[in-house]
Parts: sequence; structure tokens; C-alpha cells
Amino acid sequence: MANSKEHKERKEEFTTSSGIPVKRVYDPSFAPTADTYREKLGDPGMYPFTRGVQPTMYRGRLWTMRQYAGFGDAKQTNARFRYLLAQGQTGLSTAFDLPTQIGYDCDHPFARGEVGKVGVSISSLEDMETLFDQIPLDQVSTSMTINAPAAVLLAMYIVVGEKQGVPMEKLSGTIQNDILKEYVARGTYIYPPEASMRLITDIFAFCAKHVPNFNTISISGYHMREAGSTAVQEIAFTLANARAYVDAALSAGLKIDDFAPRLSFFFNAHNHFFEEIAKFRAARRIWAKIMREDYHAQNPKSWQLRFHTQTGGSTLTAQQPDNNIVRVTVQALAAVLGGTQSLHTNSRDEALALPTEESARIALRTQQILAYESGVADTVDPLGGSYYVEALTDEIERQVLVYMDGIQKMGGAVAAVEKGYMQREIQAAAYETQLKIERKEDLVVGVNAFTIESEKEPTLHKIDPHLEVEAQERIRAVRAKRDAKFVQQTLDELRQAANGTDNLMPHMIQAVRAYATLGEICDVLRDVFGEYTPEHF
Amino acid sequence: MYYAMSLASTHLSTSKRIRMGEIVVERPIRILVAKPGLDGHDRGALIVAQGLRDAGMEVIYTGLRQTVEQIVQTAIQEDVDCIGLSSLSGAHMALFPAVVNELKQRGIHDVLVIGGGVIPPDDVRQLKALGIAEVFTPGSTISDMANYIRAHVKPKTWDEPFETPSQIDHIGIAVRNMKEALSLYENLLGFTVIHEETIEDQNVHAIFVEVGDVHIELLESTSEDGPIARYLAAKGPGIHHIAYRVQNVEHWIARARQAGYQLIDEAPRSGGQNKRIAFVHPKSTQGVLTEFCELI
Repeated sequence: MANSKEHKERKEEFTTSSGIPVKRVYDPSFAPTADTYREKLGDPGMYPFTRGVQPTMYRGRLWTMRQYAGFGDAKQTNARFRYLLAQGQTGLSTAFDLPTQIGYDCDHPFARGEVGKVGVSISSLEDMETLFDQIPLDQVSTSMTINAPAAVLLAMYIVVGEKQGVPMEKLSGTIQNDILKEYVARGTYIYPPEASMRLITDIFAFCAKHVPNFNTISISGYHMREAGSTAVQEIAFTLANARAYVDAALSAGLKIDDFAPRLSFFFNAHNHFFEEIAKFRAARRIWAKIMREDYHAQNPKSWQLRFHTQTGGSTLTAQQPDNNIVRVTVQALAAVLGGTQSLHTNSRDEALALPTEESARIALRTQQILAYESGVADTVDPLGGSYYVEALTDEIERQVLVYMDGIQKMGGAVAAVEKGYMQREIQAAAYETQLKIERKEDLVVGVNAFTIESEKEPTLHKIDPHLEVEAQERIRAVRAKRDAKFVQQTLDELRQAANGTDNLMPHMIQAVRAYATLGEICDVLRDVFGEYTPEHF
Repeated sequence: MYYAMSLASTHLSTSKRIRMGEIVVERPIRILVAKPGLDGHDRGALIVAQGLRDAGMEVIYTGLRQTVEQIVQTAIQEDVDCIGLSSLSGAHMALFPAVVNELKQRGIHDVLVIGGGVIPPDDVRQLKALGIAEVFTPGSTISDMANYIRAHVKPKTWDEPFETPSQIDHIGIAVRNMKEALSLYENLLGFTVIHEETIEDQNVHAIFVEVGDVHIELLESTSEDGPIARYLAAKGPGIHHIAYRVQNVEHWIARARQAGYQLIDEAPRSGGQNKRIAFVHPKSTQGVLTEFCELI
């Protein structure tokens, strides 16, 4: 390996973004042998699912192309949804604005300036009805990026289905519902951890019985990666959080095989192509082993790590934004070669604003080109057996397990989050990344290398500033025309249930039917559960 | 006895306030990094906070979900020179100028307000027209920001009085062999060991013994290189540094910097035992490595 004179290399040391050393060349000693193949890889669809969760993968059905969208009010987002469906998108993914994500109605003082900005504003059932107007809920699957108030938004979705004549048994989709990573990285928490975990297990229990086709949680590494974690940390912290949800559900009396098949995951795809592919393969293998060996799940579906992928927002540059199309292509290819179940490709202009319709279309077209022109979807796990990819898969697994053991010793993910452990680890990694860019040890094309003097300003998406006022007028009108007594009654019942141990879902559904607003429902729970305030360094 | 001593030291410290005379000592720039609104993306804010701290500034970070009023209140309480606002949620047009207006309404005109986040060029122009001095978008470096801030804040001097160091806190002695050193200090001289620690990143094992109010810090190297090993190789065992007890280590960093002394630490760091410390290079201090040491 030495850098001898006749074989001079570009750098002293090559490493992945997680700091894993990369050798000049890998040989057959890194690949599984005929003896270890079943144990380490298994055929696609077979334990430990290193090669994929289904036997046919994309030969059977392509991944779901699921572009995250939402902005402005429900009417505008409804139009974007219908546009995306008409363009051949196969699933919906809803972005909510921050007031919605933190359980405030659009006329709350804290909502100032935030209404309709990073997603659609939803304050009551009426907004939700508008959002899914003319979209048959028995025919699309809908993913909702909603966490602290996930139960309320799910309740709204169920009631919209009801009004369309679609029973909840037939609804399919995903709620993110992953509160632990909100404390770590994303920041849209409301309640303290214990109460939040109860809300989550209530959803697990309710859906296992009544909404069997809904993924009740999407345990997310995406945002931790965006906050600056390494690929190894992304998997380690996500799976540690997943264990915490499983533990909470088991303590709540659920049976592992009743809820585990509905657990789903959400990961990031960054630029380090082979590390990303190996990361997805390692995650599947680790999770399968945890579920079968540690939790003794019997149903093979409980062992399968199914995941959505989004390309890495933090890798996009504001400089020369068209270059981002290339970054997204590389990242999307990694997700596909890693066996993702669904994929969101970012738009080129997201380091500057929310995407324009044109940018969103190019992002979707990127997936379609991979799916229909490149041939990468025609065989399962084409990189299986690659000396390098198998070596990386093994090394990532090893490093992830070291982290996970450490978190178990701290008392699990909830304790680690409360101590700020993951937050500190991520922050240290993020700072290191920044320093490497400033020292030009890491080059970012268009940012600290290959820059151009003056750039043409791209056309960007704009949010109508009057929207906030209009949304506020609408929610006031809803409050004025509903049956106030019925609202009060359902909120009182919800309060009583929250004080006791009843499953909260049926009470939320009832309150939503009465047009109690998101803010009102969340306020009842704020009263009962209190609010989370993080500690700072 | 104890009473008399504490009286004496109070007397000493009040009577020996340093008159600044010809040197006006500027305090480090103090900046509030703030997250207005509901946005939870704090990667940038945290990196900037840490980076500016490493650049020698005092940084206060508000945490998430701050109202405009809360941010201005904190800025006043902490007497900051600059507010750095971060928002990636698109709420910047509503919230950044509101901070500027709130400052104006409270009659504050000398605080520099800058911003950062996912902010389109059109909005950057408007924000600048509305009193946001500069906007740092993705791809900006910490050094860009630090340079900008240094060039644009008005230097402030300390409100609190400077006080001359009250005593020697400890004397550091480099030793080749800790056992032999302890046989001198512990066995022959009879001093008590009060603290022991290993400072991993410096490759140093340190033992403190007590001599009245002053401590002797015995320093042994834990590796072939590292500062103590290098010192021993160059000079042999002996007195390594003198640490003076000060009220405020930032004061002394600023004072030494401004007077042209060569600092080893541009910002205070933890010295263990609830101490904040900073070293001045012996080149500029008559050959004696000098440490400022503040008890927290």
C-alpha cells in the first residue's frame, strides 16, 4: 500500500465520509465464500436480507417514486399533488409547514412568518379535505412527514377517507411519527419523551387493529445525517431509536409480530457512492439479526428493514445550482443499488428556496431515467459480491454495532437522547466536516473549488405573502361555523383519556370529526403532558 | 485567621485594580446566535457558534424557537455586539427585519444584525435594505463571517474593572519520573497530594500537591512526544510554567493580546478542577511559560 515512487497516489490516505479507510484494491478475501454466503448475504428476500427484502425487487415492481411536496395552502398543494400524479409519480408525500408540525394553528402568534413556508398549512379537517380533494385515498398511498402531532394528522386522514367512502382498513401510507430524532436533530418536538412514546405506541396499537396497511412509523436517519452525522452514525442512531420504539411497544403490551411488520425506515443518500450502497445493505442485515435474534420475532416481515430514501439536501450547493442535478443522480443511483423501497430526489434549487415546478419535474425525471433507461433495475443487488462493497458493508456493520452497544449501555436511545449524547456526536462530526471544507481537504465543486465569478440568478419559487392572512381568515371561519358544544365535548373526552390510559386515537378521530383544530387538540395534550424544553451547552 | 486572610485578599484585590492608562483593552466580540421562529435546522447555527468561539469571540446560542422579543431581550441582557439570525424555513422576511425594528424601538443602535440560511438573492437585497447588515447563504465559511463581524462591530471595552492577579495559583514542574518526584514532594517535604489527572490530548499525567494556598503541579509525559516530553528533551526537568490566579481569564487574554504578547490560547479552555485557563508563549514573557487561571 505504500506510496512508492513509481506508484504515486493522489493522497496519503483515502477514507469514506465516515472515516473508513479505503484500500487501493480489494481482493476475494473480502467477499463471502460459498460457506458464508447464506449467513452474510442470503438470496434476495431471504434472511438476513443483505441483498434486498423481496426476491424479485425491481424486476417485480419499481421503487415508488415519491416526491415530497407541500407549500402554501391546501389548495395549492392539492394542485401540485395532482400535477405530480399526472406526471407519473406513484405515491404522495406531504410536507407540512412548521406551525402544523409543532401543533399550532396558523393564527397562533408563534406561527408568524412560517405559515405555508416549508410545507402546507393544515389547521383543521377542512384544510385536509381540500388537500386530498379529488384524490381517491383507496388508490394512492400517502406519506406524511409529521411527528409530534402525527396522531392528529392520521386522524384527519382517516376522517377524509371516511367522507370519501373509503374505510380505514383500505388506507395505505406512512406517517413519520419518529419523535426521538426530533429531539436529536430536527426540532419539531412538542411533548416530553415519555408522553411522546405513549402517543406512538397508541398509534401502533390502533393501526394494528384498524389501519393495517399504514406504516405507523418511519424511523428516520435522514435528518440526523442532514444535521451532520456520518453514514455510520446515521444507521447506528436510527436503529438504536428503532429499538427504543420496539421496547416501548412491548412494554405497552403489544406483541412483536403485531406491529414490527409495519415499522419502516427513512435514510439519506449522500455523495460517497459505495459507502451509501454498503450502508443500506448493512442496515438490512443488522436489523434482521436484531429482530430475529434479540426480539425473537417469528414473522419474516418483522425482520425486513424496508426504507424510503431521500437524496442529501445538505450536499446541494447554492452555487452553480444546475450541478445539483448531477449530485442527485449519483445519490439516487446509490439508493437504487442499495435496494430502497421508495425514493425522493431533491430538486436542484433547494439550497436557495423551495423547488419550482420545473426543478421538481427534472428531479422526478432523474428517477425515471434510472428506472427506464439505465438498466440498473433489471437484476437484484448487482453489486453483491463486489469485494469492495462487501468489505464496506462488513465494516459499517461492525462500527454501527459498536455505537449501538454503547447506547444500550447508556440505557437505550431515550436515555442517550436525554443526555444529549447523539446531539453531541453529530455536532462534532458536522463541525469536522465544515473545517475540512474550509481547509480544502474536502472539495465541493462550485463552492471551494471550480468557482465562477458571477452567477446567473435562477428563477425561484415564491410563496405568496398574503397566504398567512388568508389561512388565518379560513380557520376563524371554521371555528365560527362548527358546533362549539360538540367540539368542547370531544376535547374534554380527549383530556380525560390523556389523563388515563385509554388509547388516544379514537378520541382524536372524534375531535377531528367535530372540526376541533390541530392547535386545540395539541393544546389539550400540552396541558396534560407538558412541553419539552431542551438543555443547551 | 481565615477571616483575617479573606479580608486581606479582598483588600488586595480592590486596591490593585489596574489602571488601564495608555492601553485601552477591548473585550472579545460578543455575539448572540439566534434561531427565530419555529425552524429546527440548527446545524448551521451550531457550527457558526462553535466556529466563532474558536475564533476568539464570546458566543451565546439561544436554542430553537425564539420569538423576536426573546431574542432582543437576550441581546440586551448579554450586552452583545452582534446578533446572528439563522432561519432555513423561509420565515426570514417576516422575522429578521422584525428583530432590527425591535432593537430600534428599544433605542439600541449599536448592535450589528446579520443573518444566514436558505435565502434567495432577491430576499438578500431586501433584507439588506431593511437593516440586516449582511446575509450568509450556504457555502459561506466561518472565516468569512468572523472577518465580517470583526470589521463591522464597534470595539467595546470591559465594563468590569480589571484586577491584578491575586496570587500564584500553581507552579508547574516537569519531571522525568513521577515516583521519584513524589518521594521528594510527598515523603521528604510532606505535602499532600490533592488531585491527579491525565490530560489525554496533551499526553500529560499531572499530580497536584498543596503548599499553603499555592499548588505545585508535577507534570510527567505519558508518551514519547507531547509538550512535556519535548520540554524535557530540550531543557531537562525543572520549572515548566507559572500560573497566576485571575478573576476573569478573558480579560487577560484580551489584555495580553492587545499588548502584543504571543498567546498560545486565543480563547479560554478548561484546565480541569473547575478552572478556565489560557497560556502565553514564553518567547514573549521573558522565557517563562505563563498561565492565567480562573476558578469557576
